[in-house]
Amino acid sequence: MTAELPGERPRAAPGGDLAGLLALVARGDEAAFAGLYDRFGTLVFGLVRRVVKDPAQAEEVTQEVLLDVWRTAARFDPHQGSARSWLMTLAHRRAVDRVRSAQASADRESRVAVATADYDVVVEEVEARLDAQRVRRCLDALTELQREAVTLAYYGGYTYREVAALLGVAVGTVKTRMRDGLIRLRDCLGAD
Amino acid sequence: MRLRRGDPHTLAGAYALDALSDADRDSFERHLVGCEACRAEAAGLRDAAGRLAEVTAAQPPPWLRGQVLAEAARTRQQPPPVRERQRARRTWLGVGWPPAPRLAGAIAGLAMLVALGLGTLVLSTQHTLRVDQAHSGEIAAVLNAPDATMTTAHARIHGSVTVVMSHAARALVLTAARLPALPSTECYQVWLMGPRGMRSAGRLPPARHGMTAPMVVSGVADGDRMGLTVEPAGMSRRPTTPPVLMMALSTNDPGG
Repeated sequence: MTAELPGERPRAAPGGDLAGLLALVARGDEAAFAGLYDRFGTLVFGLVRRVVKDPAQAEEVTQEVLLDVWRTAARFDPHQGSARSWLMTLAHRRAVDRVRSAQASADRESRVAVATADYDVVVEEVEARLDAQRVRRCLDALTELQREAVTLAYYGGYTYREVAALLGVAVGTVKTRMRDGLIRLRDCLGAD
Repeated sequence: MRLRRGDPHTLAGAYALDALSDADRDSFERHLVGCEACRAEAAGLRDAAGRLAEVTAAQPPPWLRGQVLAEAARTRQQPPPVRERQRARRTWLGVGWPPAPRLAGAIAGLAMLVALGLGTLVLSTQHTLRVDQAHSGEIAAVLNAPDATMTTAHARIHGSVTVVMSHAARALVLTAARLPALPSTECYQVWLMGPRGMRSAGRLPPARHGMTAPMVVSGVADGDRMGLTVEPAGMSRRPTTPPVLMMALSTNDPGG
């Protein structure tokens, strides 16, 4: 509502108040934990479900992630990165661990098809949301190979070697596309 | 496959996307320890990767909320990292080791363990040991002991440890499944505690696909319990955090 002065932060950093919630959660504040669930549960569950696919397993992994948050909130170190990043890393690693340990290489093929097929559907569902729109726009700004490398790894839970095999390109190429793609994504998201 | 010498920086993207194998990730994290600029880049890329979750947001089923909150209410929280090890130790030992959890199952007949020579050993549906040649002799001695018994216990939050114990060999073989991943600066340390006091049994090998390689612990005494704590990667002389798992080791009952 108030006019923004040059140099003033235009808006709170995403997840900025997550750090505050985490500090309370670390002290055993159950109400703060409920608030955290209400604010960020959709992000965690949505990501886990995307990676894990199976709804029952996604629910289980989501619960594990949130209990990790409850249990280890005191170990969040703001010097190592943002609270939002800490939370999403917990969620993503748990989800990836689940698919990598559970799944035989045989069903990987079919997962690729699903991963690419429902990408657009999910994006459409939430496209109304401003944040999602911005991410989508920034994803669109990547080269096709960058985008595929990044999304297969992140949403599909594949290792870079698997991504290289799936895309039929050299491992070294995939490594650099992942890095270049994320740098471009970072700069695009930060520029808004 | 290990990182090649040369330019590990190119792995920063794959690292931020959790697209590295466990071995590659360990190597890269070791690299990060000595490279501040790399840590900053990795944090920035991880931040960008995390934003990708904004397009997948979805409402969890309503019942999950109550379940998660109830589970949290009965779950002990980890303390913040404390520099003063001395103080942490006293507090921890003052509280004492909590009672061992109920054992999920103790299985006696281990005829199937003879399959050891094949390199892979199925202990149960959940536990498959990958046995490397170096330790297979020691491991086989425990597994093939006539009195070997197998026990699985669940860790406080997540994961489980399976132990095959032979009192005749005074040794056990343990493997852990799906314990929460730790940063490279920390490890799970194994302890024996009983009438002979508390001894470190070393660090749990890193997990691959959620499962650690089997570890042999010798010098087990009657009445010992086994515990697992999170410690700095260099290990501690005494436990400095509450155990994530405590396990009674089936004792030789003189009467039976």
